[in-house]
Amino acid sequence: MLVEPALAQNGGNWGIAQLMQRLHQVKSASAQFTERKTLHVLTEPLVSSGTLLYLAPDQVQKITVLPKRERFAIDGDKLTIDGETESRNRTLSLSEHPEIGGLVEGIRATLAGDLPALERFYSVHLDGTADDWRLLLQPTAPKLQQFLKSIRIAGSGNKIHTVETEEADGDRSEMSIVEDAR
Amino acid sequence: MTRWRSAAIGIWLAALAVSIALIAHTSLSTDMSAFLPRSPSAAQQVLVDQVRNGAVSRLILIAVEGAPADKLAALSKALAGQLRQEAEFPSVNNGEETAFTAERQAIWRNRYLLSPGVTPERFTEQGLRQALESDLQLLGSGMGTLVKQTLANDPTGEILGLIDRLTGAAQPHARDGVWFSRDERRAILVAQTRVAGFDIDGQQRALTLIEAAFAAAQRDVPGTEAARLLMTGPAVFAVRTRATMERDATRFSILATVMVAGLLLFAYRSPRLLVLGLLPVLSGALVGVAAVALGFGFVHGITLGFGVTLIGEAVDYAIYLFTQTAPGTSPDDTLRRIWPTLRLGVLTSIAGFSAMLFSSFTGFAQLGLFSIAGLIAAVSVTRWVLPALLPRGFAAVDPGIFAPPLLLLSRHARWLRVVIAALTLAAAVLLLLHRGGFWQEDISSLSPIPAADQRLDRELRGEVGAPDVRYLLVLAAPSEQQALQASERASRLLDGLVAQQALAGFDAPDRYLPSEQTQAARRAALPDAETLRQSLERALTGLPFRPDLFAPFLADVAAAKAAPLLTRETLPSSFALKLASLLLERSGTWTAVLPLRGVADVGRVADAVIKLNEPGTTFVDLKTESDRLLQTYQQEAVTLALVGGLVVLLLLSASLRSPRRVFAVAAPLVAAVAVTAALLTAGDSKLSIFHLVGLLLIVAVGSNYSLFFERQRHEDELRARSVASLALANLCTVIGFGLLSFSGIPVLHDIGMTVAIGALLCLAFSAVLSGGRPSKP
Repeated sequence: MLVEPALAQNGGNWGIAQLMQRLHQVKSASAQFTERKTLHVLTEPLVSSGTLLYLAPDQVQKITVLPKRERFAIDGDKLTIDGETESRNRTLSLSEHPEIGGLVEGIRATLAGDLPALERFYSVHLDGTADDWRLLLQPTAPKLQQFLKSIRIAGSGNKIHTVETEEADGDRSEMSIVEDAR
Repeated sequence: MTRWRSAAIGIWLAALAVSIALIAHTSLSTDMSAFLPRSPSAAQQVLVDQVRNGAVSRLILIAVEGAPADKLAALSKALAGQLRQEAEFPSVNNGEETAFTAERQAIWRNRYLLSPGVTPERFTEQGLRQALESDLQLLGSGMGTLVKQTLANDPTGEILGLIDRLTGAAQPHARDGVWFSRDERRAILVAQTRVAGFDIDGQQRALTLIEAAFAAAQRDVPGTEAARLLMTGPAVFAVRTRATMERDATRFSILATVMVAGLLLFAYRSPRLLVLGLLPVLSGALVGVAAVALGFGFVHGITLGFGVTLIGEAVDYAIYLFTQTAPGTSPDDTLRRIWPTLRLGVLTSIAGFSAMLFSSFTGFAQLGLFSIAGLIAAVSVTRWVLPALLPRGFAAVDPGIFAPPLLLLSRHARWLRVVIAALTLAAAVLLLLHRGGFWQEDISSLSPIPAADQRLDRELRGEVGAPDVRYLLVLAAPSEQQALQASERASRLLDGLVAQQALAGFDAPDRYLPSEQTQAARRAALPDAETLRQSLERALTGLPFRPDLFAPFLADVAAAKAAPLLTRETLPSSFALKLASLLLERSGTWTAVLPLRGVADVGRVADAVIKLNEPGTTFVDLKTESDRLLQTYQQEAVTLALVGGLVVLLLLSASLRSPRRVFAVAAPLVAAVAVTAALLTAGDSKLSIFHLVGLLLIVAVGSNYSLFFERQRHEDELRARSVASLALANLCTVIGFGLLSFSGIPVLHDIGMTVAIGALLCLAFSAVLSGGRPSKP
């Protein structure tokens, strides 16, 4: 933790390795999110909001409160979705559903600061400075490319501010994140 | 006399010719279910069918290990790719998406016939409105990406429910897109063979193909030279068991023949006598196999394995003849002298073996018949054929070094009797005190599959969630459609129980092929194109869906309304295989099998099934059934052993007509059986049914020794000869059975070991208890 400020101030040496290292040091975090989805099947965007929780190295929960309560939890390879009614509950294996798995892995590996895991699915481009960085993830596997065009993650320091995903069919999602104090 | 002898030789040769002809027209079976009982109940018959022919029997579980995980993943993909090109494997699954594609497409095309959600209400304005509102919500949720793919065709969401129902909840662990064990040491694949599980030649071909494909995959993926291929599953076991059985039967027969021949050559010091001595054995084996062929229509490989033991037993008769003929006497004199004892010996052996004829294990019944026919042939050849073939001025065999150890035992009989009595008593006490009973309670102890292979099978099954079923619902009906309708009623009941968490899930034939009645009802529930278009238009009012989004839905429903119903013949192949394992036809009766998963409340499920009040329905607990089966076998084995022992005792009493003599003959047998049983259960070991059969054989074989000891002459020369002949005969028996104890197949190993120990003890105890009568002048 002592080296951290030194690295942050030294802009010349700052790069993907340093960003990942700083993100890796975050062992748990919680945040409020607002997501706006623009889908080609709909004539107007869908807006939802709720809480995000992260616990290193591989647990992520997205708890939507509005418009309907839903818990979307990832633990290892297992994805659990709990809806308002029991009939909506389901468990999926991420590796069985690459369209969800790839997307989830891009966000989770970024949170974990796990560059090798990111590079298993994406080519990674970093732009900006330690205080205002933008990460562009583009899928490399043809299977994932069928579903996903790109993920753009922006943040400062070890905090993430926005996650934008663009799907192959043009559908987009913009999620803005306000991290709780830690 | 000479004419009579020629007649004997003629009959002998004719019998051999007939036997050879019979054997040439008989098939050899290696199906291990011959050592399972003739099935007692209909439910168990279904199980045996499942084991022999069901989809489960066609599954080969394949594991690849011994390389880094990323290499294993590449190897798994290469191997699966190779195998998918083979017609022998209708389905090869390693977790890759491609494996599911065909199945998913089949479900997709037939969703309106397969989905229980298809009702008239579903397609009214209200039903559609409800479905669309739910879709809208799902689009915004984490499920959005999934829902979006099928929305335009399937707004009522039939496919998601169907995939859940049909592909099962438990998915194996995966990495790099393929299945792995949880510790990522093994990549796992599941291949389904085209041929049935009982077609061992076909299964053998399948295994060879997998091995070749693995070798090719290894060449394609660098850095996997050290990787290993593991295979398991019923078919793999069947192939391996057959290989082991053939190997053991051949190897031990040759070994036993060589060792017995070497021993006899050493004793007789005459190759000619050796060949003559083996004639009764050879004749016995041929006649024995022919008798089994005649009685059963096929000969089991294991029965041949026991041919080895016949070598040990049938060679005795010639030994008695050759060794007990003193110089200057003729073989005919010897035969006249020993014939009553020999005859009684053969009769007691037959009495013992005959109990096995009544065993519900076909294998044991065959073994009994084989031994009885073989022994009769062997003793007949010794009595009526051998004397004619012996050279003129036959030089008798020197008793040599075989008699002294036994004579020594007889000389010290007075105090050794006390030792044997003490040993027997100690053995009895040990048996009575044996912790937790001395019966093996696990039915897998009867399985010819080595414990290590069984463990690997359990591990892989656990990893891929392959069926390892304990509870089944079995429904019998007079027709296929009635069986499917019964299955639908039971499925509705079970769905309710799943919701109440009495069980985790189940599989049923109607999922893959709903009854015609149900399919027709679902098809009729679909509205005509115009009605549906209007209802949909009204339902969409005020919802933010793009106009015309649902044109594919209208087209799919119109197509489904015109499509023919699914039949067994038009099912996709993976469904047809599954259905074949869940819906069976046997002589006009159709049986639906519903395997239950994760039964949490057995009582509630059982009660609900009773309340369903459906005739022909049985709730089967495989564990209880197999425990009950094992108990039945144990009781049967005990009964057979007791009856066999009793028949031997009655025979002895009738022949010897003196309680004192019966005791002298029977005491060594009882002592040997008791001490052998105590030795077998030493420590925490348990007795298997095979051990028990072995104990019966000790009586059958050992009675010969005690009879000869009891009947022996007391002139020194003859005595030494008769004792030597017994020692030699016993050594041959111990060699035959002792070699079997090295076999990896439980039935061969257990019986071999039991009889080898028991026969040796029997001889020693006979020397003391039966032959120990002081021979003072």
